[in-house]
Amino acid sequence: MSVSAYSERPTAKAGENDGFSVPWSRPRPKRTFVSARLVSAITILLLLIAWTASASLQLVSPVFLPSPAAVWAKFVIVARDGFVDATLLQHLLASLWRVFAALIAAILVGVPVGLAIGISRIGRGVFDPLLEFLRPIPPLAYLPLIIIWFGIGEPSKILVIAIAMLAPVALSTAAGVRGVSRERVDAARSLGATRAQVIRHVILPSALPSILTGLRIALGAGWSTLVAAELVAATRGLGFMIQSAAQFLVTDVVVMGILVIAIIAFVLEFIIRRIERVLVPWAGRE
Amino acid sequence: MSHLILDKVSVLYDGQKAPAVERVSLDISKGDFVVLVGRSGCGKTSLLNVAAGLVEPSGGLATVDGRPITGPGSDRAVVFQNDALFPWLTARENVAFALRLRGVSADKRARRADELLSLVKLGDAGDKRIWELSGGMRQRVGLARALAAEPEFLLLDEPLGALDALTRERMQTTLLDLWAAAQVGVLMVTHGIEEALVLATRIVVLAPGPGHVVRTFETHFGRRYAAGEPIRTIKADPAFAAARADLTDAIFEGEAV
Repeated sequence: MSVSAYSERPTAKAGENDGFSVPWSRPRPKRTFVSARLVSAITILLLLIAWTASASLQLVSPVFLPSPAAVWAKFVIVARDGFVDATLLQHLLASLWRVFAALIAAILVGVPVGLAIGISRIGRGVFDPLLEFLRPIPPLAYLPLIIIWFGIGEPSKILVIAIAMLAPVALSTAAGVRGVSRERVDAARSLGATRAQVIRHVILPSALPSILTGLRIALGAGWSTLVAAELVAATRGLGFMIQSAAQFLVTDVVVMGILVIAIIAFVLEFIIRRIERVLVPWAGRE
Repeated sequence: MSHLILDKVSVLYDGQKAPAVERVSLDISKGDFVVLVGRSGCGKTSLLNVAAGLVEPSGGLATVDGRPITGPGSDRAVVFQNDALFPWLTARENVAFALRLRGVSADKRARRADELLSLVKLGDAGDKRIWELSGGMRQRVGLARALAAEPEFLLLDEPLGALDALTRERMQTTLLDLWAAAQVGVLMVTHGIEEALVLATRIVVLAPGPGHVVRTFETHFGRRYAAGEPIRTIKADPAFAAARADLTDAIFEGEAV
């Protein structure tokens, strides 16, 4: 932190000071650092206050911006009584199920593909261009094609999310595999490991930290594809809930749905980081 | 009696015009401790990799007991400068790795691993994770792991290169102890002149451009340690100082120092 502050300071020549107190002119032995977390908390608090104030002063119509209290009230109602024939929990579980089904599909395809890219030139030649082609396409662009091919059922929704997850999983796996130290592989071979044993006992565990990072990115990508996936013919799901609320201008449900999606994304990220700490405690300590 | 023989071996890497090693011959028997020394770029590590089967010679022949070396094998276990241990395994599991590859049962390989850990004086570190160990301890685990494969030959690529001077000195006697206990032939690459003298039964001095043998010394200081003489006494022997001067001359021959 102090290093970046140091490099950013302008190069002031001696005598240019004009008697003004320049904060970086003298090294101060005791600096009180404000933790970034505290700043974040204050920022969020200020935003909430601004939101409450603008809503209660009726600066904008509640159709555009419902008050936090209204959103909270809606949260309680939807959690208890539901919205469009399903409770909030049912919407949430429907969405979570889709995202996790897609994650498992993305792991089953993406990890072997990443492994192939990482260990074989042919694998890289085959899969690299495909992934590079797929990666930048927004999910909404291929959604219609998938519906034409696979219909409007559950598999299409899961597929849309899984495609969004595939590239991060495969590319992170490939990066992890390519990063395995040569010496580690050579040591295993000189201890009698066959090619298959090297992959199973050395390359995959070595790449695990990178694979988990890929899963974390994939989960984020998949979660943000959710609303697109639930655009068509869904009857449950957070994305569907927001969609239908928007059609009837039930803005408080829309805002509440957005907040729930954000909070769940945060929780998922937190859980994966925990899993990383348990599964790959050596990451960053080598 | 096992023999590891490099016969007029040359190594030419892809895309390079000059060979890294040209027509070098080595002969290592069980019980030998052969040390390769020489300035940077003299092809020490290339030769070790040929013996390990990790690099294919572009000329000449590498054999073990008359059979050509076609790839790495557990009869020639390698220990690298950076331990190349597996951080997702405990020290014991690392040592047992070669046995696991062979399908040895879990309790049998744990027992063997503990024996080997005691041999390298890490008897109580079996459950430790690799990142909890110091550099010297890691290298001990690496040696124990190599010995678990029950190799005929131990190939050491600057195994003590990354250690501090004091740990290094202590590890030298550990190496001698292991060499005596395991009855293996050792081929080791080092930059340390004193280290070479302490350990070797034979020192092969290489010079660069392309790598070739300039001189071979038969030494006996390691055997004296194995016979029970303390290492300090050996190093204080005037013969040791004289050998050291000779070896230094040979390494820097033809170079203004």
